[in-house]
Amino acid sequence: MSADANFQPKIVVFACENSGWLAAEHAASLGLSYPERVELIKLPCSGKIDVIYFMKALEKSDGTMIMACQQENCKFLKGNVRAAQRVRQTQNLLKEIGIEEDRVGIFYLAANMGHKFVEIVQNFYDKMRELGPNPGKVIK
Amino acid sequence: MIIAERKPIDEILGFLSKHQKVLVLGCGGCVTVCLAGGEKEVGILGSELAMARSKEGRPLEVVQKTIERQCDFEYLEGIRHIVKEVDAILSLACGIGIQTCAEAFPDKIVWPGVNTKFLGVNLNVGVWAERCQACGQCVLDKTGGICPVARCSKSIFNGPCGGSQNGKCEVDPDTDCAWALIHDRLARLGEVDSLREIMAIKDWSFSRDGGPRKLVREDLELESGK
Repeated sequence: MSADANFQPKIVVFACENSGWLAAEHAASLGLSYPERVELIKLPCSGKIDVIYFMKALEKSDGTMIMACQQENCKFLKGNVRAAQRVRQTQNLLKEIGIEEDRVGIFYLAANMGHKFVEIVQNFYDKMRELGPNPGKVIK
Repeated sequence: MIIAERKPIDEILGFLSKHQKVLVLGCGGCVTVCLAGGEKEVGILGSELAMARSKEGRPLEVVQKTIERQCDFEYLEGIRHIVKEVDAILSLACGIGIQTCAEAFPDKIVWPGVNTKFLGVNLNVGVWAERCQACGQCVLDKTGGICPVARCSKSIFNGPCGGSQNGKCEVDPDTDCAWALIHDRLARLGEVDSLREIMAIKDWSFSRDGGPRKLVREDLELESGK
């Protein structure tokens, strides 16, 4: 757990508009809540994510993730496969500079999984609370 | 195109250790195509450097810019006002661009952010291979468009050598024997008999043995000589 018990991580969630984004809307329609300091960014496909998006997100946040369609269920066939590759690339960059690679992740879900959306965000948030503030954060 | 690869991050961080504000300068030419020093790579490296230094508690201000080409003075001229504001430049261009940058800004430290590898081609995503050594006297007309200088490990002119086995090179079994490729291509074109001609000894004076080369085309020169 972070030394600061009041630490509230900031998280940037990139979400495929065919799964993660709709799941977020589903969660909202069910009245489910998740931590406040979570910024959602809609992408046309998880394959649109790029290393540079993750890196720019990490300059101002404590963790970032991509929410992609279930494996082998991408509307554009391989978007979620490419997204996973970019997560690995970003993790390698973080490792190079001594920042925890767990600060970036990929999670798979479907449009009708509002509960799962909240569970993923909450678990990731808790994980970031454990890790503590991102030591590489540039924009405090 | 010129193929380059980003230097290890620790080496780059070492270069920049004494600076507080740097310009990470990309090039829109070859290094953009080979994914080593284009606009995206500038952004990624800029973030990585800023984060690494932030982690060390010694913030680094990173200015990011990518110009059309770093190997042309006219494009470098357009960033003079940015260069004035930074401690140093980290150039992600090839060795040519880095040197042009250093020549354009003689009072500014210019660090290399990439290792320039070779002149080559993109074979697949993430895979590049050498195709030319800029030897100065092209023989592709005699070799079916396959260069024995760049692609034969021994750069021999009347191959293959005894180390060619099943179309592969003895130096590296993953490398195609250039002379096997040359033979097979000429055979496909019905020109294999052209290989009976003994190639003359190559005139290497067009290559590097006379020191740095320079090309002057008087037909293009302006009267002022500039």
